[in-house]
Amino acid sequence: MNNADIITNNLPLFIPLILLEVGLDVAALIHIFRHKNYRMGNRILWVLLTLFLNPLGAILYFIIGRETY
Amino acid sequence: MKSTWFFIRKELLESWRNYHLLIIMIVFVIFGIEGPLMAKLTPDILKMASGSGFSIKMPDPTSIDSWQQYYKNMTQIGIYVLVVIFSGTVSGEVSQGTLVNLVTKGLPRYSVIVAKYIVTYLQWCLAIITSFLISWGYTAYYFPDNKTPNIWLGLWPLLIFGLMFVAITILGSTLSTNNYGGFLISVIVFIGLTLLNLFKDSKRYNPIALVTDNMSLVKGTEKISHIMPAIWITIFSALVIFYLSILLLRRKKL
Repeated sequence: MNNADIITNNLPLFIPLILLEVGLDVAALIHIFRHKNYRMGNRILWVLLTLFLNPLGAILYFIIGRETY
Repeated sequence: MKSTWFFIRKELLESWRNYHLLIIMIVFVIFGIEGPLMAKLTPDILKMASGSGFSIKMPDPTSIDSWQQYYKNMTQIGIYVLVVIFSGTVSGEVSQGTLVNLVTKGLPRYSVIVAKYIVTYLQWCLAIITSFLISWGYTAYYFPDNKTPNIWLGLWPLLIFGLMFVAITILGSTLSTNNYGGFLISVIVFIGLTLLNLFKDSKRYNPIALVTDNMSLVKGTEKISHIMPAIWITIFSALVIFYLSILLLRRKKL
């Protein structure tokens, strides 16, 4: 049994999980590119974190990275 | 009363606008899916990790594994997620000075604490119950056995523990001047309670029993009457901590 089999065998579990994570990432990316200033870090850092640290990067961005007015 | 209601609406709107509700919902929904998923995948992962050379005998996953994973997430990472998101709820407003206008225009200070408490607890409950239902659905679909007869019984203690822990989060946030202080206070309390659990005699009375005994309640090996003392202590300390935060905010310089 290889990786692809594991995913196709458990599709009902993986589809919502993937949708959620992609949705969260897209929301975070839109927010990152619409704002210039962040509470900490810069744009490149947050884009990289969001893309490569799933789903923690996007969550971290919304909690500590997003500028609050 | 009217002002509390007003502040509750403001808090709900704020939670929606600054993505707190979105984040807590997404994180807990992921946890809800993850429970059954991990239970189902663990044998496969172990099989792949051990290679094809020799085969290890793994018992088939049951609903017990699924719920175990769920309660492990809820009572460990779930608690920290709650604290991380809401640890700045009072201190943030104090440090930004957004409360000054409202209080000088006649908003009673206790309304702030009451509204924040209610809104935080509601959001956390909504997240927990949503993920519980998701986990329940998947578990019933993938593991239709009757090894976990009392699934609801594990959830009630968790929700009651939340009553106290949200109060602690609010108190920590009122005590400190920034996010991190509030976070630290709540985490220290949680770890302190966990350490207290090392003493065998205190187990029945320690509020942490509400988040450690869930599985034995679900499996039916333990009666809820066993942790009844802990439940009463939790409710009582929730009230005390809640009142303390009101007193503290009354004295705090905004």
